[in-house]
Formats: sequence, C-alpha cells, structure tokens
Amino acid sequence: MKRTERLVNFVSGRKFRKSWYAFIIAFFLIFVILPTVYVLTYTYTQWNAIQSNVLDNKETVDMILGAIAASFEIAAIVTIIDFVVGLPMAWMLVRKKFRGKNLLDTLIDMPLAVPTAALGFSSAIFWAATPSAMNAPPFALGAITSPMLLIILLHIVFSYPYMVRSLAAILEQIDETYEIAGQTLGASKLTAVRTITLPLFRAGLVTGIILCFSRSLSETGGTMIALSTMANSAGFNTGPTLIGTWKKLSGSNPELIPQLAFVSILLIIIALVLLVILKLVVMKVRLPMGKIWPTPEKILSRGLVPKMKDGFTVLFLAFFILIPSFFIFSFVATSSAAVGDWGPFLNSLGYSFAIAAIVTVIDLALGIPLALYISRNPSKKISHSLDILVNVPLIVPTAALGFSLGQFWTDQSLIPSVPTLLIILAHVAFTYPLVVRNVTGAMEEIDPSYEETARTLGAKPIQGFRRVLYPMIKSSILAGSIMAFTRSLGETGATQAVVSDVVTAPVYIVQLVNTNQYYLAGLACIILIIVSYAAMLLLRYLTRRKQGAL
Amino acid sequence: MPEIRLEGIRKRYGSIKAADDLELSVKDGEYICLLGPTGAGKTTALRIIAGLTEPDSGKVFFDDHDVTDMEPEDRKAVLLSQSYSLFPHMTVAENVLFGPNIRNWSEEARIKTLANMLDLVRLTRRSDAYPKELSGGMQQRTALARALASGAEVLLLDEPLRALDARLRISLRYELRSLAKSLGITTIHVTHDQDEALVMADRIAVIRNGKIQQIGTPIEVFERPISPFVANFLGQSNFFQGSVTYVNGRTEVRDEQGRTVAAGTANVEVGERVAVGIKVGNTEITKEHDGYLQGIVERTLFEGRDVFVDVMVAGLGRFSSRIPAGRSGEFSVGDKVSIDWSPEKATVFRLKDRSLDDELRVE
Repeated sequence: MKRTERLVNFVSGRKFRKSWYAFIIAFFLIFVILPTVYVLTYTYTQWNAIQSNVLDNKETVDMILGAIAASFEIAAIVTIIDFVVGLPMAWMLVRKKFRGKNLLDTLIDMPLAVPTAALGFSSAIFWAATPSAMNAPPFALGAITSPMLLIILLHIVFSYPYMVRSLAAILEQIDETYEIAGQTLGASKLTAVRTITLPLFRAGLVTGIILCFSRSLSETGGTMIALSTMANSAGFNTGPTLIGTWKKLSGSNPELIPQLAFVSILLIIIALVLLVILKLVVMKVRLPMGKIWPTPEKILSRGLVPKMKDGFTVLFLAFFILIPSFFIFSFVATSSAAVGDWGPFLNSLGYSFAIAAIVTVIDLALGIPLALYISRNPSKKISHSLDILVNVPLIVPTAALGFSLGQFWTDQSLIPSVPTLLIILAHVAFTYPLVVRNVTGAMEEIDPSYEETARTLGAKPIQGFRRVLYPMIKSSILAGSIMAFTRSLGETGATQAVVSDVVTAPVYIVQLVNTNQYYLAGLACIILIIVSYAAMLLLRYLTRRKQGAL
Repeated sequence: MPEIRLEGIRKRYGSIKAADDLELSVKDGEYICLLGPTGAGKTTALRIIAGLTEPDSGKVFFDDHDVTDMEPEDRKAVLLSQSYSLFPHMTVAENVLFGPNIRNWSEEARIKTLANMLDLVRLTRRSDAYPKELSGGMQQRTALARALASGAEVLLLDEPLRALDARLRISLRYELRSLAKSLGITTIHVTHDQDEALVMADRIAVIRNGKIQQIGTPIEVFERPISPFVANFLGQSNFFQGSVTYVNGRTEVRDEQGRTVAAGTANVEVGERVAVGIKVGNTEITKEHDGYLQGIVERTLFEGRDVFVDVMVAGLGRFSSRIPAGRSGEFSVGDKVSIDWSPEKATVFRLKDRSLDDELRVE
C-alpha cells in the first residue's frame, strides 16, 4: 500500500506531469508524424535521382500518374456511394424503431472484423470473372471484368461501416426536436430533414468522408488480392499496389527507390491537400439548402417512397456488403479440398497477432495521455495544432506511410533496423490516431467539472482519471483499441512498404493467391475472419466483466 | 476552518479581465455571497480559490499560508459546480465515500462518515440510487454530503441553487445556510440572484468586471450602496442626474431642465455632477400632491404581493415604483402622477467624469 501511495504521489507531482506530457508530445512528433512525412524531404535531398530515374522516363511517369489518378478516382466514387447509401442506413439505426434493429446494428460492423485481404479475396470471387482454374462456385456472379469497377465494389464493402458509424454518431447528438419544430411550422418531413438536420451534420460528414476516402486511398492488401484473383486485370494498379510491387523488387534493385519515393510523395501531398480542401469546403461553404419545393417534397415524404428507400437500404447492405464479405465460405465449401502446409500460415498468423497486440498496447499507453492533453487544454495553441496533426497519419495512404517510415529509420540508423521493430513502428503510426481520435471525441462530451470536482474532493490527477474519467470513457477506449487492433491485423500496404520480406498473415494470403493456391488462401481467410471475430468478442466480454466488478 | 484572503489577483482571458486586482478576505466560518452579473468574474474567483485556475498574478492565502501554488486536492476546499457533477457511474453512497476512499480511511471511519452524512442530508434510504434517479434537490444534497464527507474546510458553491425549481430554491436557501453554519465551514457562495444573497449571506461581496465593488452585511450593501451599480443591482433603483445646488443636512440636485430633487447627506460639493439613486421600493407615486417629478403611468405589472407601476417622466425616462398589491386599483395607464420620496432614502453618487450609463452597464 505504502509503495503504491508513493508512486501515486510521484506521478501526481507537477514536475512529473509536465515532463510526462512533454514526452508524450515528443513521442507523437518523432515516432508518428515525422516518419510519416519524412519522404517529403527527398524532394530536396534526392531530387537528382528522382529527376533521372523517374521524371526523365516518360513510361514510368505515365504509369505512376495513371495509378495515382485511379486511386483518387476510386476513393472519390466510393465515398460518394457510401454517403448516398450510408445516410439512410444511419437514419434507420438512430431514428427508427423496428424489430431486428440490434441485428442490423451488428451486421453493419461485420466487415470491420474481416481483414481486408480476406475481404478482397471474398468479394473478387463473388463479383469478378475469375480464371477457370479457380473453380468459383456456380452461383458466383462472375460478371465484373473491369478492374476499376471491382476495386470500387471492394472498397465500398469495408468503408461503408465507417460512413454509417460516423453519420449515426453525429445523428444521435442532433436533437430530434429541431425537426419536429420544423414540421409543426409546416415543413414536410423531407424538407425538415434536408433544411434543418442535414446542415447540422457537417462535423459527422467530415469525419465520415475523411475515414472512407483515406481508407479507400490506403487499401493495399485487398486490392492486390482482388486484382490477382480476377481473370484479367491487365496491369491495373493503384498507388498503393504500385508501392507494394516495387518495394518487393527494390530488395534486388535499389534503382527503384526514387520511383517509390516519388509515388509516396505524390500520394502524401495530394492526400494532405485534399484533407485541407475538404475541411474548408464542408465547414465553410454554405450549401444552397434554403430552397424549398413544398409539393414534390411532400409527395416524397409520404407513402411508398420512404418505404422503398428503407427497403433499398437494407437490400444494399445485404447484396453489396454482406454477401461479398462472406462469400468466401461458400467458395471453400464448394471447392475440392487441397492439401497444404499449414505451418507457415499459422506462424504468420501468430506473428500478426503479436504485432497487433503490442501495437494496441503502445497506442493505449501513449495515445490516451495525448488525447487527455488535447481535450483538456483546448485554449492552448499547441493542443490545437496537435489536434490537426493527429489526422495526418489517418489520411496518408499507409503504403506511402510505410515506405516513408522505413526510409526514415534506416536513413537515420537511430535504431537497429530489426524488421519486426520497424513493422511495429509503422503500425503504431497509422493506428495511434484511431485511439487518440476516439478518446478525444469522448472527452469532448464530458464536462471537465467532473475531474475538477474530484480534485477538490482530494483526488490526485491520476486517481481522478482512474475513478471518475476512465469509467466514463471506457467504451470509447475499447472502440479505439478494437479499431487499432483490427487495422493492424488486416494491414498489408504498410507492412509490405516498410520491409519487403516479412510475412504477416495478410501478406501470406496475398502470396498464396499470387501463386494460385486459391483453396488454401480461402481457408486462411476464413481462419483469419474467425480468429479476428473471436478476438473482438473476447475483448468485449472481458471489458463487460470488468464493468460488473467495479 | 481557515480564513481566506485574496491579494491582488489578476487573471485575463484574451482581452477580458476576469479578475482585476481582486482583493477579498473571508473570515473563519463565515458565509459570504459573491454577487454579480454574468461574466463579472465570480466563477473565476471561486476557481482560483479552489486551485483549478492559476491566477496571472496575486496570491491566495488560507490562514496566512500562501496556497497559490498548492494543488487543488491538497486545499480541502471543495467546489460544488452548478450541475453538482455527481459521478454518474456511482451510487449515492459511492459518491459520498469518494473522498474517504481516495484518502484511504479505515473501514470503520468510512461506515461512520457515510451514515452521518446520509443522515445529515436525509438520504439514508436512497443510498443505493444512482444520481439520475434522484430529484434535483436530492442531487444537490448528495453533492453537499460528498463535499462534507471529504473533510472539506472550505465550501465553494457555484450557483448551487440555480438548477432547482423556484419553490425548492427558496426552501433550500435556509437549509444550505444553516447546514454550513452549524458545521462552522467557511463558505463562499457565488450567485447572480440578489434575493438569494440578501437572505443567505453573513456578508455580500458585489463583484463587477473582476473587481469587488463593495463588501458588507446585506443591510449595508442594500441600504448604503457605494455606487450606482450596487444600488441598481441590489434592489432595482431609479436615477436622477444633475448638479448639486445645496448641501447642508440634506443634498439638493438640479438637472438641466431646472427640476430639483432632494436626497440624504453626502460628501459632495455645490456644483459637482452627481446621480441620485432611489430604490423602487422607496419611490412613491401619488395623485394627491406635487412630488419632485411629474409623469404619466405607462404600465402596471402585477407580481402577486406587489405591483410595479412604471411612470414615464419627460426627458428622464422611466421611473418604477413598487407598491403593495392592495393599492393597485389607484393607478391606470395614462394617469398623470407625481413622483416623490423621503430625502433620507435617496443616495447621492459622485459621477466625476463617468456617465451614469457606464456606471450601470451590466456586461
């Protein structure tokens, strides 16, 4: 008892608190932000190499620009579709009462538990025209021959839940009485929603758009698998798949480094510029929402139209999200079994889990303090800048981030270049913001007077956090850690870009598909799905039990 | 229980001065009300005493110990916020035991304190309820019990009655005060409600723009305000501006239109520019004789026991008078009336180079 008391006193001292926060901020800047954008310095230091290896070579430039244009086109289309079909779904979840709502609520999150590599394989088998060697089940659609279309369909699967969740979260905070007031003032339901609720929506919309856009822009593993699963992808590349492919070759061919740097730089810069533009456009521009068309809107508010909208929303979820996600099960069930060596897969699976666990622990230990600092010093300029910087690793495509981070640590040779360490650092960089974002979001909802009252009642800051704040933000911490864990588990792009020869589970599945071992890849996907799902359930169970004991 | 002393406290938020050379001293066991309009710096003063806000300069003393740099948890000064901040995930008992748990009291001491405190605030039966299941008054009492159980020596109340409905607010005034007084706790109670301050306080400190304007017993600040602002904030006043024409035993003031009014003695000189303040309760209106001013009844406001009669005086604006409800039939809108008062009930304020509007402005 004495010892813990002394420890509590020590960490509550002003000096310790100051240096602890300084350390947290330094960690964030040096281990997360700096490596993420380090490759941008290559525009100074390595310009000659980029000039001679890339810019002077028209074919390479065309290839890079084509891939990057494809990436941004896909991300934009995916985001728009997500919004159009996600909004009615968020609406149903928040505002409507019906049987099976809980089930629907759970179904939405299902794709989040599935690593994108497995999703890519699963949706490609369902949608795409596949090579005959694959033996796709006869009831697979097998219709899509355009790589671009396939990737769009795939990206919708895993970005859709993010959009629905962000929109639903903000919708829950918007008081329904505004709409009711609008309706009593004579507006039809649709008019009230469009002119009153939607404009209040901006914050959630920004979050949703940023999440979907950046997820689509980053995605590597699923995209690569989908492309190699389909019959004829004809050299189609997105920015991240280009990085993945070249990084693998760069081990034997260092000439590729300038090309990799160039792709990464373009991806990072365009992503950041888009982030700024998006924030400005959505927050500042006044949409012409004021105009009203009473008669058509009244017609659209009644009778069949709303019912059709809800029906379509549910059908979309089933047909475009759930069936493609889990089609892999029917593929494995209908395929003839093949014998394979499970050793490498199980090794890679264990390795992936270890990485994801370590990464989540680091995220929590160092992310929660940063979130506390940001949300409890809102007047300070530093916390405002930190708040903006936290978004950077979220929006930067992970493949570019991985490459940049790998170059940063090997160029500086500050730490021994142990592949595992580099992978952990890379995964921390892009999962860290998930924890910080979730916790800051929750903290903003909590009146600081709770902690302040606790302190005047005699609680040291750390006791106040443990006894008062933590129970209130626990669910957000949990949400953040689930996101960080599953993102790390499913990540392919960053892993491949930071070190080319380490095999995590998703990377291993990519290899299986590339070598046409479809059945094994399918089984591996299913195992990955089941294990991630079980991990999520376990995490939920553990935290619930703890709650009971409090 | 400690005495509290603030010396030269300054605190700025951007261009706003929340504390501007704030001086205040509170005696051991005293119940003091910090009264002022919204944005006057009341809450800032309270937070500085609690240690939650660091002053830009100046010092805070508890019993002659400089506590300016002391952490809030070491001050034994408990802040009760407007919303009570009862921890929503804890029951009444757990909330009350928060302080004892943090300080690691013995099991025996905890049980005893809990029983005492719940008994004191009459919540023994609700000890297992969660805050959201309690009424506003019960929440308030829980918060109070929690504060007292932590061994508080100073109670800092930030608009503690604000969230309650009107009737409960009035009955809790006496309860809150007598509880604090019986325990001998030094209490600082922040409010913008003058009635609350008048009823509850040993002394009232009127604060404006981060400065204490006047401090004294309720009778002192009500009867002998030192500025037009205090006169108007505690029991609304009517004002007449002009120059002093006569001083001896009483003061006479004439305005530019030649109207002359009389007021009590004041330390002013003939020719000086002054304002005369008359509380609405001391402003009489009559049809029988000629008073100081003439006007036309503009409206009457029935408020139960009293009636407010607003009279428009040409060139001066609206004068209000509070009369007993029984006399309400005497005046109707459009009547010509006279306004009168006993000179000793009217207070003279020197204006120097400031305008009356600036003096009265409530930011």
